[in-house]
Amino acid sequence: MSLYAYDQIDREMLADRAAEFRGQVARRLSGDLTEDQFKPLRLMNGLYLQLHAYMLRVAIPYGTLDGRQMRALAAIARDYDKGYGHFTTRTNIQFHWVRLKDTPDILDRLAAVDLHAIQTSGNCIRNTTTDPYAGATAEEVDDPRVWSEAIRQWSTFHPEFTYLPRKFKIAVTGSAKDRTAARAHDIGLKIKRSREGELGFEVMVGGGMGRTPYLGPTIREFLPARSLLSYLTAVLRVYNRLGRRDNIYKARIKILVASTGAEEFGRQVEAEWAALDQGSIDLPDLELARIRAAFGVIPFETLPARSEAFEAARAADLALARFARNNLAPHKKPGYTIVNIALKAPGETPGDATSAQMEAVAALAERYGHDDIRVTHAQNLVLPHVKLDDVPAVFAELQRHGLATANLDLISDIIACPGLDYCALANARAIPIAQDIARRFEQPDRAEAIGELKIKISGCINACGHHHVGHIGILGVDKKGEEFYQLSLGGSGAEDASIASILGPALPADQVAPAVEALVDAYLGLKTGEERFLDTYRRLGPAPFKEAVYADAHPA
Amino acid sequence: MTLQVLTANRLDTGDVVFWSGQAWVEQFADAERFDAPEPGDAALATAKAQPTLLVDPYLIDLVADGSAPVSFRERIRALGPTDHMELGKQAMGGEAIAAIQHAHGAARSTGRLSLIRRKP
Repeated sequence: MSLYAYDQIDREMLADRAAEFRGQVARRLSGDLTEDQFKPLRLMNGLYLQLHAYMLRVAIPYGTLDGRQMRALAAIARDYDKGYGHFTTRTNIQFHWVRLKDTPDILDRLAAVDLHAIQTSGNCIRNTTTDPYAGATAEEVDDPRVWSEAIRQWSTFHPEFTYLPRKFKIAVTGSAKDRTAARAHDIGLKIKRSREGELGFEVMVGGGMGRTPYLGPTIREFLPARSLLSYLTAVLRVYNRLGRRDNIYKARIKILVASTGAEEFGRQVEAEWAALDQGSIDLPDLELARIRAAFGVIPFETLPARSEAFEAARAADLALARFARNNLAPHKKPGYTIVNIALKAPGETPGDATSAQMEAVAALAERYGHDDIRVTHAQNLVLPHVKLDDVPAVFAELQRHGLATANLDLISDIIACPGLDYCALANARAIPIAQDIARRFEQPDRAEAIGELKIKISGCINACGHHHVGHIGILGVDKKGEEFYQLSLGGSGAEDASIASILGPALPADQVAPAVEALVDAYLGLKTGEERFLDTYRRLGPAPFKEAVYADAHPA
Repeated sequence: MTLQVLTANRLDTGDVVFWSGQAWVEQFADAERFDAPEPGDAALATAKAQPTLLVDPYLIDLVADGSAPVSFRERIRALGPTDHMELGKQAMGGEAIAAIQHAHGAARSTGRLSLIRRKP
């Protein structure tokens, strides 16, 4: 067991919530509630009305699941949806074909495995994002899941922060290498140690994407870890008091921080924090120790760092060798590895998994991975604790289920929101653009030669596809009813965070993949040494890339 | 005037439906075409008076021959997602579906714009 264990209070809360929603749905269906009355209630339970049907967004708290929970999601997809689910850039899962009348039963099924749809919509503190390698990577200063769980307990149904000016997203990274896009969140927390060795956080506030992207500035270089919840309370209070409620486009904390100035905003937070009764908010050491202990201890075996079985298998199998090169990451324990499962097979929908695939991943986690599964903001899955000895067997099973695509962080590992194929907000489709590009770069040797290249696609300015922080960002726009796509270059959501810059006029759909190819060709001709696409762009600026795209493509 | 049809989502299932003149039907091809404002507005008013059956009824504009909605968004609603051609209304195939799939000359969606500005 390596997941946080829900206690009786958590379980009663979920059961109560599901029962409450059952009553609300019954009252809506009978006409006792109008749609205007019901809509905020369903949204608080993650239920949206999209283009073709209702969509249920299920929270995966800080992106962590066990096999039992993954099987429950697979069963829901099979019994109440159309046999698949969509993992999102906020490490949640969406079911796109849900019926309102079935939703209470689905919430009961979720509650039975300690899952729910709370904090997946509305102007509350949303599900926290954390490092999918948490507890597995040697890079981390401390396990960010412990702090994410503390934030979950503090924020769920927090009466003061349920009706904020706008939604609020927090990310916690425990490593210097940022796999959470921390600076693109309302609050990004980076765990660190002070010179004296004390555990704490760098606090970044006011990042975000949407129509006005910002990277969150650091308002406190070091916050002692024990003060986390009181300091978050202070940030939220200042935001709740001063954030705009008159204009939805200016309501996020990023606008407040940008207009106030990070220094002044930080000063106001410090003043608020100083006036708080911090002791009544912060977790007592005993409770923190209880949370830490509730994650359990994984009984890692003492193994040699090198697995002869694994080495022999990959020497004999080029596909396994490629998978190992691209999809495995170092584990903190000798003889173990982190296995990334890319939900990015060329031609498939980024982030989608069928019920059978979800069950296959559950079985692998249970048999080989200490029953631990992570969801990443790049819409992939992770088995964080796999013995190197077991990698050949895991790989074979992944192959059998179409889950062995060896393209992590390569050009075909594309983030794409559901776009106009599903989403009522979208202006253009994102999925077919991702599919076009992935097919064009399907040849794995070529993809590896290009190296790390993160393409992120959004179907509208709300930027669920994180296009602002893509090495190549693609934004779908509506030009007189036709789909067009605006390219941006130079973004990053990692520790070297930056916002991408628009390259030039938007392109019609069929010219996007050729334009990406032109960008790649330009990069390959210009790169020096081990430069990634992003490095070459940063060194040379947009001019050669602009020339590459607009010399051949014909912008509208 | 531009031809119009009346569409909505069913409350209990969320399914996209169209007004045929007698009933709410699944296929765009079976929808009643309004060639004057008054009958369309009257049907819309009736739909709005059925809040336990429907959500968000609104009129959409059609291309000149009435074979498809003008806006790309409405065409996808009338067909299904393009990443799963086996799902949604397009799964039944046939000439009427093909006509929507091959429609062009789109313009911005009508009616629904006021409903989609805010991201919840």
